[in-house]
Amino acid sequence: MDNLQVGRHISGQFNEDLERVINNVMQMGGLVEKQVADALVAVEQSDVALAKKVLSNDYQVNAYEVTIDDECTRIIAKRQPAAGDLRLIMAIVKTIADLERIGDEAEKIAKVALESFSSSQQDLLINLDNLGRRVLEFLQASLDAFTRMDYEAAVKIHQMDDKINREYEALMRQLMTYMMEDPRSIPQVMTVIWSARALERIGDRCQNICEYIIYFVKGKVVRHTTAENMKNL
Amino acid sequence: MISISPKVLVPGAEPTIEKKLDLTNLTPEQIALDINQLNLFYGKKQALNNISMSIPKGQVTAFIGPSGCGKSTLLRSINRMNDLVDDCHITGEINLHGHNIYDKHVDVADLRRKVGMVFQRPNPFPKTIYENVVYGLRIMGENNRRNLDEAAEQSLRSAALWNEVKDRLHESALGLSGGQQQRLVIARAIAIQPEVLLLDEPTSALDPISTLTIEELINDLKKQFTVVIVTHNMQQAARVSDQTAFMYMGDLIEYSDTNTLFTTPLKKKTEDYITGRYG
Repeated sequence: MDNLQVGRHISGQFNEDLERVINNVMQMGGLVEKQVADALVAVEQSDVALAKKVLSNDYQVNAYEVTIDDECTRIIAKRQPAAGDLRLIMAIVKTIADLERIGDEAEKIAKVALESFSSSQQDLLINLDNLGRRVLEFLQASLDAFTRMDYEAAVKIHQMDDKINREYEALMRQLMTYMMEDPRSIPQVMTVIWSARALERIGDRCQNICEYIIYFVKGKVVRHTTAENMKNL
Repeated sequence: MISISPKVLVPGAEPTIEKKLDLTNLTPEQIALDINQLNLFYGKKQALNNISMSIPKGQVTAFIGPSGCGKSTLLRSINRMNDLVDDCHITGEINLHGHNIYDKHVDVADLRRKVGMVFQRPNPFPKTIYENVVYGLRIMGENNRRNLDEAAEQSLRSAALWNEVKDRLHESALGLSGGQQQRLVIARAIAIQPEVLLLDEPTSALDPISTLTIEELINDLKKQFTVVIVTHNMQQAARVSDQTAFMYMGDLIEYSDTNTLFTTPLKKKTEDYITGRYG
C-alpha cells in the first residue's frame, strides 16, 4: 500500500478512516479468494460439507460489502476526498461490488458439488479443473496488484482474461459434444456449463478490478477500450 | 415514478459531456485577462515569480493555495491595489483586452471601474441601501433619478438581494445581515458594469447558507462578467469555478479546468495540497 501514501494526511482521523477501509477491502478480498478456492475443491472432490460451508459463508462477503460501502459513504460525506483520495474511494466502491459478485459466483460453483454425478459423468467435472485453476490464479494476481496498487502488474494481468475466455469457449464446444453424443447427460452437462459460466464471469470481474487499479494510479478510465489504447496511457 | 424519455432509446444516443476550454490555446476573443511574466516584489522580497496565465472571459477562475502563496497578491495586482503598498514594484504585464494595465498612461480610477473588487469582510458604507448601490454611479456623475433607480433595481436583482430589500431601500445598509451586506457590496460593485469582478475570499466571514447563496450568485454573475475568486475553501473553488489555479510560494504550480484539477491533478504539490497532505 506504499503507493497510496494513506498515512500522510494532516488529519490523523482521515488516515485512520482510510486505513480501516483498506484493511477491510484486503480482508474481503482474502475471504472471496478462499470462497472460490473452496468451491473448486468441493466440486473436484465432491465434498458436500465443504460446499455447504461455502454457501453458508457467503453472508460474510455480503456483510463486508455493506460495511465498506457504508464507510466509503461516510468518508465522502465527512472528508470530501479529492484527487488520489477520491479515486481511491471510487476504486474501492467499485471493487467491492465486483468482489461481492465473485462471492455469488463461488456460491453457484459450490452448488455443483451438491448435485449427484454418476461415476461415468465424473470426468465432466474434470474439465472444470483447468479453467478453475486459471481463474483462481487471475483472482489472486488481481488482488495482489490491488494491495500494492501496482499499475504495471494490473496492465499485464489484465490480458489474462483473454486466455480464460478462449479456454471457456473450448470447454463449451467440448460440453456440446457430450450432449450430442449422450442426451441423457444433458442435465449434468448443463450444471457444468453454469459453473463454467460462473468461472468465466469471475475472470471478467477480475479484469474490472485491474481497470480500477489503472484508474486509481493514472486517473484514466480504461473500461471498454482496446489493449492497444491501454498500453499508450 | 421515473419515466424514461424516449430519446434515451434512440440508437446512437450519446451521454452529454460538459465542455471545457483548452486553456493553453485560447483565441484573443476568449481571453479577458492575459497575465504575462508577472513578477512582484515587496521591498526585496519577491512575492510572485514569473506568473503567466490567461483568464477566459465569462467564466469563473479560482486561485487556491496555502496562506502566503501569493494568491491575494495576484488578485490585487489585477486592479492595481498593490499600488497602495509602499515598496511594492512589479515587472511583466497584465493585459485587459490587449492593453497593459501597468502602462504609464493608464488611469487607475478608470481601470478600477472596469475591474471591480469585493473583499473578505462586507464593507457597506454607512448610508442607505439605495445610496450604497448607486454610489459608484453618482461618483461617475450620473444624477438622473430614473437611471439611478433602474440601475439600483437591476444590480440588486443580479445580486439576488432585491426581494429581501425592496421595501427598505432607504434604511441603513448596516442593518442588513452579514450575508446580505456581502451581496449588497457585490451589487455595488456590479452597478457600474465592470468587465471583471475580483472576489477576495468573499464568503470567509459568512455562515454556510449565506455562503451557498453567494456561490449561486457567482454562478449567475459569470453570464455577465468575468469572475476571479480567491478562496481558502477548496470545496468552494471546486463548486463555483470553471478554472482553478494552484499557487505555492509565489509560483503558479498548476492551472487547469477545475474538474481535472480536483480529480487528476498533474503535479504532486497540487495533489498533496488538495488532499490535505504534508507538502
